Amino acid sequence: MVSGALLFQSLILGLLLGGLYALLAAGLTLYFGIMRVVMLAHAAFILLSAYVAWWFSSTTGLDPMISLVATIPLFFGIGYVMHRFLLARLRPTTMTMMSVLLTFGIALVIEGLLGLAWTGTQRRIHLPYGTSSVEFLGAQIPVVQIVSFALAALSLASLYLIMKRTQFGRSLRATIQHGQAAQLVGIDTTKVAGMGFGLGLATAAVGGAALSLQATIYPSLHWHWIGPLMAIIVVGGLGSIPGAAIAALALGTIRVLLEIPMGSTWAQTVFYVALFLTLMLRPQGFFGGRLAQRF
Amino acid sequence: MSDETGPVAEPPVDGDDVVLRLVDVQAGYGKAALVLRGFSVEVRRGEIVCLVGPNGAGKSTVLKVASGLLAVRSGSVWLNGEDATGAKPQDLLRRGLSHVLQGHSVFREMTVEENVMLGGYTVADRTALLDRVEFVKGVFPVVAERWSTTAGLLSGGQQKQVEFARALMVRPDVVLLDEPSMGLDPKRTAGMFEQVARLREAGVAVLLVEQNARRALEMSDIGCVLDLGRVFVRGPAQELLADPQLSDLYLGGRPAAS
Ligand SMILES: Nc1ncnc2c1ncn2[C@@H]1O[C@H](COP(=O)(O)OP(=O)(O)OP(=O)(O)O)[C@@H](O)[C@H]1O
Ligand SMILES: [Mg+2]
Repeated sequence: MVSGALLFQSLILGLLLGGLYALLAAGLTLYFGIMRVVMLAHAAFILLSAYVAWWFSSTTGLDPMISLVATIPLFFGIGYVMHRFLLARLRPTTMTMMSVLLTFGIALVIEGLLGLAWTGTQRRIHLPYGTSSVEFLGAQIPVVQIVSFALAALSLASLYLIMKRTQFGRSLRATIQHGQAAQLVGIDTTKVAGMGFGLGLATAAVGGAALSLQATIYPSLHWHWIGPLMAIIVVGGLGSIPGAAIAALALGTIRVLLEIPMGSTWAQTVFYVALFLTLMLRPQGFFGGRLAQRF
Repeated sequence: MSDETGPVAEPPVDGDDVVLRLVDVQAGYGKAALVLRGFSVEVRRGEIVCLVGPNGAGKSTVLKVASGLLAVRSGSVWLNGEDATGAKPQDLLRRGLSHVLQGHSVFREMTVEENVMLGGYTVADRTALLDRVEFVKGVFPVVAERWSTTAGLLSGGQQKQVEFARALMVRPDVVLLDEPSMGLDPKRTAGMFEQVARLREAGVAVLLVEQNARRALEMSDIGCVLDLGRVFVRGPAQELLADPQLSDLYLGGRPAAS
């Protein structure tokens, strides 16, 4: 019999994990919204950022989060360049399919470079607060999970404010919703889409650093992440950031709760079950809708 | 501006008040056959030029070329006496051209306010912008009434009015209207035509594409029939209306005896 305390603890941990997934999936759904790009290299970039965070903290002894000062602008730049010189050159009619191949290739390149730079050895960050936890209403919550969640929540809130309140956010949404009309009100849609890509990749930088706190990393790990993240954005409705966030919270929580009876490997299947159910029952996703219908 | 666009470019004569001029334009999509095969048109200050022609004739393509959404293969585009061939839409907008697309082009998941304000994306002067908002709210009451509504939730005709409002946020010298009456009820259609007439009085040049060809020609100065990528016939709108052959071919038969 599962105790109420264990259930409660799992619920909290599930929500914390879901929050992190929400950030990791946000970038993925943003790329799709911008130009129907399936970005298979997203998780590889998350992993790259996690490696940089690990490498930074193990060589300097400083907190891995400080590496974000460099990785956020760097990833933004890489995203912009990648859009401008690779993705924007794909033909619109075959964009989705070709982007899968292109970004698959990019993921392999990143994986190769990671192996080259830091070998295939498993790495883990050692933090002063790495094993401590706080008690919350009888549940034991690891500090690292709270830190990752806080980072994710902060980034998602910033993303929301950027999209809703800034002129750049408005022009990005306009570009997503009607590219030609956006051009006709004077928006440089190519540049804005490139910056949108940069923004998506910047979320991968933050997500990677947050993940590095609690994950043991090795170069091929990103293949384990991209599947669940893809499932999340389909369930949430392709292109919808709020949809992805809700789906991530829900699936993350269910996943952790299922670990109690099923163990971690089987619990992971919740993402794929949710994916199949969504495709069968409501292919446009549960919270997004319109974008997927246009697809 | 630049004179490297080739020999076909023929700059407007000094002192003439042509706002928009397309000269011998060839254009098409991708590798498909050309849609426009040597098309020319000019629109003067305070003049309405109405473009009619069958579905697929290339009317929308003409407007896309004029607003820079589609590049010409050859030929040239002139705006306010300056060469604008190959210019980007943003650039043409700053130089006084605004284009309302065929069908629906509101930003569906944004509010009416965000849509209208984005119309003034290139307007830096805040007070001018707010003046302009008052102006479009006066012209299109629905904009004022549904200011905070998500645009995609408005009816088709209401969305169309938001699109006009958005296009009028800059003070354009020339407006391209692609089937503006589509989806409007008779009263709004009349109102829309009235707005177009008012634009003319304000000295704006209008290039109009209309399914409602007879009605549109009645209020236009110049009519231009487009077929097979070329100008089939051009002339004062009243003369086109009076031509029985054109009526049969392009204007949906003769008007009911009146
Ligand atoms: N984006 C596009 N890609 C490829 N071909 C296109 C595109 N847009 C239009 N065409 C083709 O160009 C031709 C002219 O289209 P256009 O939209 O200019 O016609 P139109 O005169 O505006 O017709 P309608 O009265 O139906 O609006 C058509 O044969 C059409 O198939
Ligand atoms: Mg058309």
